[in-house]
Amino acid sequence: MTDAATLSNEHLLDDVEVADFVANGYRILELELPEGLNEAAALKLDELEQNPGDEIMDVVPELWQVVEQEVVKGVMTSLLGTDFALMSHRHWHCRQPGTGHMQWHQDSTNRRDIRLEQLLGLYYPRDVSADMGPTIVVPGTHFRNAPTDRMATYTNIKGQIPLIVKAGTFAVTHYDMWHGTSANRSGVKRHMIKFLFRRTKDNTAPTWNHDPARVDQPFSYGDEQAANARTALRSANPLGVSQSDHYKEIKIRTECFDQLLGKTAG
Amino acid sequence: MSQVKNPQPRQRLLYLHARTPSVYSGILGLTQIEPVAGHKVEITAQDEEWPYETVHDAIVDGWQIVQFPHQQAPIADRDLDMVGYEFILQKMEVVN
Repeated sequence: MTDAATLSNEHLLDDVEVADFVANGYRILELELPEGLNEAAALKLDELEQNPGDEIMDVVPELWQVVEQEVVKGVMTSLLGTDFALMSHRHWHCRQPGTGHMQWHQDSTNRRDIRLEQLLGLYYPRDVSADMGPTIVVPGTHFRNAPTDRMATYTNIKGQIPLIVKAGTFAVTHYDMWHGTSANRSGVKRHMIKFLFRRTKDNTAPTWNHDPARVDQPFSYGDEQAANARTALRSANPLGVSQSDHYKEIKIRTECFDQLLGKTAG
Repeated sequence: MSQVKNPQPRQRLLYLHARTPSVYSGILGLTQIEPVAGHKVEITAQDEEWPYETVHDAIVDGWQIVQFPHQQAPIADRDLDMVGYEFILQKMEVVN
C-alpha cells in the first residue's frame, strides 16, 4: 500500500518507537485531518442502524482520508513492512448510550504469534470521555496465548489503559492485545471504526528510520531511560508481571524485533 | 401474622490474580462477586481503588482461599498465557 519513494521518512518510526510498540502493543496517533471531517463522519455514523461491515467505506467515504494519512502509512510501514495491506475486515463499533461493558477478549482464536503480522487501526471520529464506553486495552498482553473464556474472571487489571481520546484519534494496536470496553453511561453514541492491516512479506531489512547505533548498545541496568531499542525491549513491564513472565516477555520481544530487523529472513 | 426471617450466610467470592503463587505477592487483577440478585461486575474506565494489595491482605480481612492457583505450566514454558496466578477466596456472611 505504501509507495516507498513518496513516503517521507518523517512519518516513519525510529528504533526505540518500534521497540516500544513491540513491548507495549499499541501507539496512539492524533491525526491532523481536514477541518470538519471528524464531525461529518460522526454524523453519518449517527444515522446508521446496522453495521455495514466492509461497506462502511461507501457509507462514510471520508474514512479513506483517514487510512491514507501519511502518519498512518508511516506507522504501518514501520511495523508491517513497505508492502503492508489494508484488509477488507472493517467494522463500525458503536457503543450506544446505556450499553453495558464488554468483557476482555482477544480477537479470533488463540493462535498467537511472536511475529508482527496483523495490526488493528481504531479510528474515533468523536471525543471519547470516560463515561462514553471507551475501548480499554491492556498493554503487554499481545504475546499471551490466552483463550478468551479464561478471561471471564478478570475485571479491572492493573495497567489497563482506557482510550479516552480526542476526535481524530487513530489507535494502532497489536491484533492479539487484550481489550474490552466500559459501559456507556452518557447520552452520546461512541463510534469507532476498526481497520485491519496485514503484513504481506517478511522483512529483509528494517522498514523504519533505522540507526544501528540505537539498537545494538548493550543493555545496562540502571540505564532504563537510555534511548536505545534493546533497553526499551528489556525494561518495559507495563503489567508489572513477575520475573518469570518478564524474562519470557523479553525473549519473545527480542525474537519479534530481530525478525523486524530482517535478521531471521531466509 | 408476620414471619420471622432467619437470614442464612451466603457466599461472597473474590478472584485475585497475583503476580506469583505466593500470597504475599502483589495483585494484578481483582473481581469481587456479591451474592445479591442482579449483581454484576464491569470493567471501568476510571481508576478504582482496590481494597487489597496482596492475597494476604484479604486473608487478614477474613477471606478464605477456596482455590489455589495451578502452578504447573500447561504449555511449553517459553510461552505466556494468562495474567497472574488466580486465587479464589470466599467469605460466608449474611448479606442484606
